[in-house]
Amino acid sequence: MTRLRRFVSRLGAWTRTESDESRLRAEIEEHVTLLTEEHVRAGLSPVEARRQALLTFGGIEATKERYRDQRTFTSVESLIQDVWYALRRLKMAPAFTIATVLTLALGIGATTSIFTLVNAVLLTSLPVSRPDELYRVGRESRCCYVGGYSQDREFSLVSYELYEYLRDHSQGLAELAAFPSGQLLFGVRRAGEADAARSHPGEFVSGNYFSMFGIRPYAGRLLTPEDDTDGAPLAVVISYRAWQQRYGSDPSVVGAIFAFNGRPATVVGVTPPGFFGDTLRAMPPDFFLPLHGEPLVDSDSDLRKHDTHWLQLIGRIRPDATPPAVEASLRVALKQWLRSHWGEMSADDRAKFPEQTLFLAPGGGGITSMREQYGEWLLILWGVTGFVLLIVCSNVAGLMLVRGITRRRQVSMSVALGAGLARVIWQPLIESLLLSLAGGAAGVAIAFGGTRPLLQLAFPALPGFAGLPIDPAPSMAVLLFAFATSLATGLAFGIAPAWMAGRVDPVEALRGSTRATARAGSLPRKALVVAQAALSLLLLSAAGLLTTVVQRLEHQPLGFEPEGRLVVKMNPRLAGYRSDGLPPLYRRIRDSIGAVPGVSGVALCLFSPPGGGWGSFVSLDGRPAQSPRDARTSSWNRVTAGYFDVVGTRIVKGRGISEHDTSASPKVAVVSETFARQFFGAEDPIGRHFGRNPDTSREFEIVGVVEDARYFSGAIGGPAAPIYFLPEAQADYSQTSLGSLFLHDVVIVTRPGVRVTETAVRAAMASADPRLPLTFVSTLRDQVSSQFTQPRLTARLTSLFAVLSLMLVSVGLYGVTAHNAGCRTNEIGVRMALGATRGQVVLLVLRSAVGLAAIGVCVGLPFTFVVARLLSSQLHGTGPYSPLITLAAAVALGCSAFVASLAPAVRASMMAPSAALRAE
Amino acid sequence: MKGKTDVPQGTLALMVLRTLDVLGPLHGYAIARRIEQISGGLLAVNQGTLYPVLLKLEQESAVASEWGVSENNRKARYYRLTRGGRGQLRAETEGWEQATAIVARFFAVKAEDLK
Repeated sequence: MTRLRRFVSRLGAWTRTESDESRLRAEIEEHVTLLTEEHVRAGLSPVEARRQALLTFGGIEATKERYRDQRTFTSVESLIQDVWYALRRLKMAPAFTIATVLTLALGIGATTSIFTLVNAVLLTSLPVSRPDELYRVGRESRCCYVGGYSQDREFSLVSYELYEYLRDHSQGLAELAAFPSGQLLFGVRRAGEADAARSHPGEFVSGNYFSMFGIRPYAGRLLTPEDDTDGAPLAVVISYRAWQQRYGSDPSVVGAIFAFNGRPATVVGVTPPGFFGDTLRAMPPDFFLPLHGEPLVDSDSDLRKHDTHWLQLIGRIRPDATPPAVEASLRVALKQWLRSHWGEMSADDRAKFPEQTLFLAPGGGGITSMREQYGEWLLILWGVTGFVLLIVCSNVAGLMLVRGITRRRQVSMSVALGAGLARVIWQPLIESLLLSLAGGAAGVAIAFGGTRPLLQLAFPALPGFAGLPIDPAPSMAVLLFAFATSLATGLAFGIAPAWMAGRVDPVEALRGSTRATARAGSLPRKALVVAQAALSLLLLSAAGLLTTVVQRLEHQPLGFEPEGRLVVKMNPRLAGYRSDGLPPLYRRIRDSIGAVPGVSGVALCLFSPPGGGWGSFVSLDGRPAQSPRDARTSSWNRVTAGYFDVVGTRIVKGRGISEHDTSASPKVAVVSETFARQFFGAEDPIGRHFGRNPDTSREFEIVGVVEDARYFSGAIGGPAAPIYFLPEAQADYSQTSLGSLFLHDVVIVTRPGVRVTETAVRAAMASADPRLPLTFVSTLRDQVSSQFTQPRLTARLTSLFAVLSLMLVSVGLYGVTAHNAGCRTNEIGVRMALGATRGQVVLLVLRSAVGLAAIGVCVGLPFTFVVARLLSSQLHGTGPYSPLITLAAAVALGCSAFVASLAPAVRASMMAPSAALRAE
Repeated sequence: MKGKTDVPQGTLALMVLRTLDVLGPLHGYAIARRIEQISGGLLAVNQGTLYPVLLKLEQESAVASEWGVSENNRKARYYRLTRGGRGQLRAETEGWEQATAIVARFFAVKAEDLK
């Protein structure tokens, strides 16, 4: 109890320091006076009496020390004093302090932001319960519709019938849920709202989707298997984000009636916040409907087609089952189902039957389309940031070393006066800690403030883009890691010089000038600068490589003209169109848009470049397939007349699609150069025939060949794929459920120099049909550019970091050169006195500086090969390593080294020789 | 300074408490004189060591101090025993007596008693 009281008293004693000290002084003085009087009374002289008194009393200072030790926690007090002292010292060297703090902040902040981004896209798992129990069918993600009874490499998409079969006939799965692989848009309108329907992304999911994920509703309830049956009233779940943003968290939404593509449905509940579905994508679904609602809502229903595979599967494995066993059981079930459809299979399918298989892959991360799309680039960014952290650390180390050197004299003095090694190290330790803390705090601020803008840069805002389901708060782990790294560096390089100085014989250190000792200390610093130069070289070459890649990507021959063209994306299905209503709609659109002043041409198509998506088999007339394996495929597009002129694709041979190609005239097709080359070799394809099924090889006559154009953005940098074009007027509109009848893109070419506004276009579309929701209006140039945002961002960031590193290297070089020049002042004075000119002195100093940079370049050169190899393997076909870029990087480095060391060199030469000689 | 012995700081605190107990409130110099007196000049302790001890006792609330006027009309700081201090003194005295009793038995033992 007494100890506690004592402890508390000591804790608060620092507030009473003044009074306590004066009180003690008074008491001691009084005590000694009384003792003195006593001795005087005993007969001693006053002087002798005082001396005796002091002897009897004992050491006054020692008493005071002991008193103080007793009074407070002296260790804490001295710590506070040390910290204040360190702060004052740092304030006295503002350049050093600011440079170090900024460098640290930059390193920590940038690193954390990038790591957070990479983390979020590459590493997070779904916000569901026990994601490690989830497995998906299919190792690669496939989109979006596959027909037939065979799939190359693996069966990753299934039809509804196959899903049911797998669900019911496999062992080891607690739940198996299905959802489409493609993104669907719905025209959604709340009952009672006056506004037109808006398009929202949505998903059809199986009844057990939510229970499989194990999530609970935020409000209302989620879908159950009862909702997913024939004849059940259409129930819908709205996502938390859509509910919040579009309807302002209005509780009356739950239970309200909404119309989906005209079909009424009841909203039964809200998903929990943070749940974004099964796939990380830029537009997560706003609405979840049961699979059995698909025929009601979608006019081209795929639910009943047992050979249209459009669903992906994720399942939860039972605790007692193993993934390989479940996989095997699923494979058996697949084969059984296929066999049950043997009669409907084509010869091709039958031949491929033995190799049909499927794979299970961990599904905790969801479907990884975004991961696959962006993964490589983000990894590159990750590497770059690691580099920057390295450079930052070495910079801090260099700064600390300099500080240590300037402190050397003081340290030697302290050691000479009897300070222990611990005491000597303590001071720089405190300084380094303070700097690291300040830099860390600033870095955290940068990380918090910078991640969101970085995210918005990385994932561009497309119209309709509602925000990415990524938490921009930087991860604690990354923050701590970066902080710990800089702290460690700061500490190591702050203490090292002090330690070295402490071990040196103080006499050595104190004797004469600082020259001799300082020289020894500059070797680690020089090494640091060389390392920085090498790293900088690597970053510069990487930046150069990436930039050239991006340039090449953006300026590759497109095969179409992006300038002066507008693209309107629409979805006639959302307005409830049936296939027979389409031709008049298309005509109306072309007429009304054509009437807009400034428009010189308009064409409709299934997809405009650089998009793509429809494929089919090709069987050539007169050239039957050798074997079922020799299946030929091609992409295809359905376009209206004049398409090629509108899009700006050159017609190489023959003609394009024209007004004369009607339903009454013979069926024609126009093919691309690659198509012609791949299927006809050197022969003239004009007049030849081909078909889409093995038994209809005379379906279309080829009337023209166009140049290759960039369709299928996924094949950036890859070879062009064959594609053929069919006239819209010749489509078979009697096939009411044919999805390819619904054209999605309207391409508008404007007269050169005339600007057609978006409002004019929207007005024209509205006059063709006011109920038609438009999802997108932009220029073709923007559409093309948006394909390259990710690579462009990476290249830009890398260049930024490279320039930053160059600056850091320059600063480091400047420091080293200035320091060296300072050390060699005497030597320079002697040289100048002996007749050296200014220029020779400048050269002397420059030589060492540029020499350092040159060494750095030599060290880094072999690594540039490695980096280039890594990058080219990541970026699929960026071309061979370019020595020109490395040369340019080296030259840039050399120039900045030159510039950085020029100032100190010139300053050294400007000194008067006599002053130089006298300097210490 | 012949034959003077040193004692641990704990016993010094005990002596201070006892002195204050017997003689009432005193100032620092007086306490030092009395202790010297009572120990018969056999204690080899610097008078200055008193003050940290007094501080410790004050922190433990065994003594309380206040400014007062001394015999020769000078300002001095007087220390007095608190109730808690009295209790502490009693407890420590008991402890000492017990310890000395046990040690005394050992000194009194002879070889034959242990056979």
